[in-house]
Amino acid sequence: MAIFGLWVINKAGGLVYQKNCGDGLPGLTSNEYLVLAGTLHGIHAITSRLSPIGSSSGAQTIEGESFKMTILLTATGTKFVLLTSPIEPTADSILAKVYEIYSDAVMKNPFHTPEMPIRSEGFDSRITALIG
Amino acid sequence: MTIFSLYVYDRHCTCVYYQDWHRTKAPRPAAEGGILPAVSQQIYQFRGEDGTLSVANSSPRNTLSTSSGVVVAVNDDLPRSPLPHPIAQPPAPKPVSTGLAFDEEAKLVYGVVLSLRNMIKKISGRDEQFTNYRTSTYKLHLYETASGYKFIMLSDPSADSLRFVLRQIYSGPFLEYVVRNPLTSMDSKEHGIDNEYFRTSVDRMVKGLSVYQ
Repeated sequence: MAIFGLWVINKAGGLVYQKNCGDGLPGLTSNEYLVLAGTLHGIHAITSRLSPIGSSSGAQTIEGESFKMTILLTATGTKFVLLTSPIEPTADSILAKVYEIYSDAVMKNPFHTPEMPIRSEGFDSRITALIG
Repeated sequence: MTIFSLYVYDRHCTCVYYQDWHRTKAPRPAAEGGILPAVSQQIYQFRGEDGTLSVANSSPRNTLSTSSGVVVAVNDDLPRSPLPHPIAQPPAPKPVSTGLAFDEEAKLVYGVVLSLRNMIKKISGRDEQFTNYRTSTYKLHLYETASGYKFIMLSDPSADSLRFVLRQIYSGPFLEYVVRNPLTSMDSKEHGIDNEYFRTSVDRMVKGLSVYQ
């Protein structure tokens, strides 16, 4: 039951924040994270169109064999993606807290430009305190 | 807890089989030439004898079978059926389609699965399978075989992993009625693998599951 990482993706599909915790997953170069975030943004959009019963949200969880991704899509189009071990029951509540920290430390920061990469020590330290 | 539909893709990345149970919105028939024949009668359009396009099941002008139930003329494209054809019924009113033609939808499904698989492989660093994903209204399960066949099933979001079901479909009806069937051309680029036995045995298996209905 571990958390492997957190990504924050803006509404255009660009990665604005990425953090790896623990060593459950191998680290990748920052370029590769950017590409993966863009791919995930596209996949999320397509999954809402494939629904057999009318309109659906995009993908909310994606499971592999050794990890699971949980995606929170906010009303403004920002996506919070949490990578955890496959049986992590608290992923949704952790993402809600991350959203809270985001709105406190990033959105209320007058020096932060929206949709730009997040460079805020306050955000970093609070996220580290939350997910290690 | 229901199962919505099943897609099978071969290693050439084409859809070779499709079946659905509870879809609210029926798929629109594919554009002609968009999909291979013998994927599913519901969505394959063929030219009737008077040159008009129609979908196999629902045409009252289906001149390929007589009312006695014996098939008098079969062209290569329709699945050969040893069972008597049902008498052509007037088409029941179908629910409105999603707006996506079936061949486009099948390509989207395959594209999503392929991209997700590559993404998961990249993130985990190992040669790992993606097993399923969930949205607010459906859950998609994937089972891939060593020969490159992909079995994809859409169910309602509260279902647990249905990989074992897909594995059972592979080791049961698929091996029996498709691999061991000398009349189905597997791995061809012109034909799907629809046949009567496979369809009914998959149907029976799915309806017998505890997660169905």
